Amino acid sequence: MLAVDVKNIKKTFISKQDTVEAVKDVSFQVKQGEIFGLLGPNGAGKSTTILMITTLLSITGGKASVLGIDVATKDKEVRKKIGVALQDTGLDNLLTGKELFFTTCRLWGYSKKDSEVRTNQLLELVGLSEAADRRVKTYSGGMKRRLDLGLSLVHSPEILFLDEPTTGLDPGSRRVLWDEIKRLRDNGVTIILTTQYLEEADELADRIAIIDEGLVVAEGTSDELKAGIGGDVITFVFETNDDLENAKNILKNTVQEKNELRITVEDGASKIPGYIKDLSSNGVEVSSVSASKPTLDDVFLEVTGYRLEGSEDIKKVQEESKR
Amino acid sequence: MNQNRSFIVQLQILTKRMLLRVIRRPLAELPNLIISAFFLFVYDGALGGVFGGTASGTPFDFAKGNFINFILPVSIVSASLSGAASGIYLVEDIESGVFKRYQSMPISRWAIILAPMNVGALRVLLQSGLILLIGIIIGADPVVGNIGFLVVLSVAFIWGMGFAGYSVAAGIKSGSSQGAQAATFLFFPAIFLAPTFVPREALKGWLETAAAYNPTTYVIEAMRAVMVDGWELDVLFRGYLAAGLFAALTLTLAVISARKATEKA
Ligand SMILES: Nc1ncnc2c1ncn2[C@@H]1O[C@H](COP(=O)(O)OP(=O)(O)O)[C@@H](O)[C@H]1O
Ligand SMILES: [Mg+2]
Repeated sequence: MLAVDVKNIKKTFISKQDTVEAVKDVSFQVKQGEIFGLLGPNGAGKSTTILMITTLLSITGGKASVLGIDVATKDKEVRKKIGVALQDTGLDNLLTGKELFFTTCRLWGYSKKDSEVRTNQLLELVGLSEAADRRVKTYSGGMKRRLDLGLSLVHSPEILFLDEPTTGLDPGSRRVLWDEIKRLRDNGVTIILTTQYLEEADELADRIAIIDEGLVVAEGTSDELKAGIGGDVITFVFETNDDLENAKNILKNTVQEKNELRITVEDGASKIPGYIKDLSSNGVEVSSVSASKPTLDDVFLEVTGYRLEGSEDIKKVQEESKR
Repeated sequence: MNQNRSFIVQLQILTKRMLLRVIRRPLAELPNLIISAFFLFVYDGALGGVFGGTASGTPFDFAKGNFINFILPVSIVSASLSGAASGIYLVEDIESGVFKRYQSMPISRWAIILAPMNVGALRVLLQSGLILLIGIIIGADPVVGNIGFLVVLSVAFIWGMGFAGYSVAAGIKSGSSQGAQAATFLFFPAIFLAPTFVPREALKGWLETAAAYNPTTYVIEAMRAVMVDGWELDVLFRGYLAAGLFAALTLTLAVISARKATEKA
C-alpha cells in the first residue's frame, strides 16, 4: 500500500481582497519507508500541500489519502497515523523540554507512568536529555527543531511530515538533523519533507518532486532527474560581452547566466576541443571551459527556467528584462 | 478510553499546562491586583472620612458608618476583571503556533478552548478572594453577616466569567494578544460610568443615565446591598441577572468565535 497518494489536489484561498491559487495541481505518490522531498522556492505551495494532506486545511479539489485512508473524510483516523512538524512551530517557551514531552505524551493518551518512560526515550533520541529541565526559551534554533521533531514522534507515527525542518539552521545543526531523519527512515518511518535547499533534497530524499507556483514540474530520484537533462553540462566563461554574443550564435541552444554560457550534450568532456576550435576559428576568446555532470541545480533551472538560490532576485531580473 | 473520559483528561492536562504558564510569570498577576487594592486603600483613605465614620447620621452617610463595606464591591469587581486573561492566554497560543499543534492531534477542540477559561476562572476566584481577605483585615463587615462574603464572591465570579468570555471572543476575532488586551479597556467605562464612589441617587444627568444602562451598576449594587443595607432581594436579583446575562452573552460569542477559529480554512 502507498504511504501517501496525492491526486491532483488544489487549494484556492478566497478572501474579500483577492483569490490566491496556492496549489494548482499537485500529484505524487510516496512509498512506505522512503524519504520523499518536496523541493521548491518560497511561496511554491509546499506548506499548503502539507497542511492539506495532514488534515489541517480543507482541500479545494482532488483527493489525498494516507495509508489508503481518505484525508478529507477520515481526518481523525489519519491524525493517529501521522506525525507533523509544521513550519511555524508551536513550542511553549515557558515550559521545559521534559514538561513539553510529558504533556504531549499525556495528550496522546499515555498513562502517567508510560508518559515518563516515553519522555525519557524521546529526550534521548533527539539528544536533549541534558537540556531536559531547561525552559524551551533558552534552547538554540537547532535544539528547538530537534524538540519539534521529537514531539511529532510521541505516538510512534508510521508517517512523518516535516515542513522545512532545517530552514535557518547552521550547517552543523542541519547535519545533525539530517542524520536523525535518516535514522528514522532506516527504522521504517516514511518521511515527507519540504525544503528550499537543493543539497538537502539531494542528500536526504530518496525521491524528489520539484514544485513551483503550485505545480509539480518534475519528479523522480535525484539521479533520474539529473539523467533527464540528457548528458553533461559544459560551461563556457567569457571576458567580454562581444565574445559571449558571438559564441551564442556559434554554439546554439545555450542557456546564458551572467558571463557564462551552458550547453548540455552527451559525453561532454570529449566534445570540448571541437567547440574550442570552432570558437577560436571565429575569433571568440574563451576565458575558461569545463564539463560536469548535471546537478540538481541544473535540473531546477531546466524545469523552472530560474535558479533556486536567490530565485526571488533572478525572477525580478527576468521580469525587468521583459519590459 | 471512552470519549467523555478522554475529554476530561485532556481538559485536565491542558489546564495544568496553562497553570504552569501562569505560575512561571508571577509578575503578570500584579497589575490587576494592585489596581484593585488601590481602590480599597486610596478611596477608603480619601473618601472614608467624608462619607464614612464622621458622616454618621448626616445625609451623606450612605456607607452607614463603614466606608470599607461600601467601597469593597468596587475593588472586587476590579479584581474579577482578571478573568479577561483567558482570552490573552488563548491568543498567545494561537500566535505561538501551539494552538495549531494541538489541532493536529486528536484532541477535543473544546478542551483546547476551555482550558484557558478554567484558568481564568481560577484567577478570578483567587484575585477576588485575596482582595476580600484584605478587606476583611481592614474592617469589612457585611451587615447580613459572613454569608454576605459568599454573595459578593459568587456575583464576582459570574461577572468575571463574563469578562473571560468577552476576552476570548475579542482575542480570537482580532487574532492578536493586543486585541485581547484591549478588551480590558472596557474596565474604564465599566467602573467609572457606575455608582462607584457614591450611590446612584447622587449621580446627575447623563452619568445617571449611563449608569442605568451599565450592568456593572447592578453588580456593584447587589454586592453593596449585602455589605451595607441588608437582604434587599430585588437588588440582589437584578445583580445576579445583570452578571448572568452579560456572561451568557459573552460566552455565547466566545463559543461562536471559537467554533470559527477551529474550523478548517
Ligand atoms: N491562508 C492563506 N491565505 C491566502 N494565501 C495564502 C494562505 N496561505 C498561503 N497562501 C499563499 O499561497 C502561496 C503558497 O504558500 P505556501 O504554501 O506557504 O508556500 P511555501 O510553503 O512553498 O513557501 C503563497 O503565495 C502564499 O502567500
Ligand atoms: Mg512553507
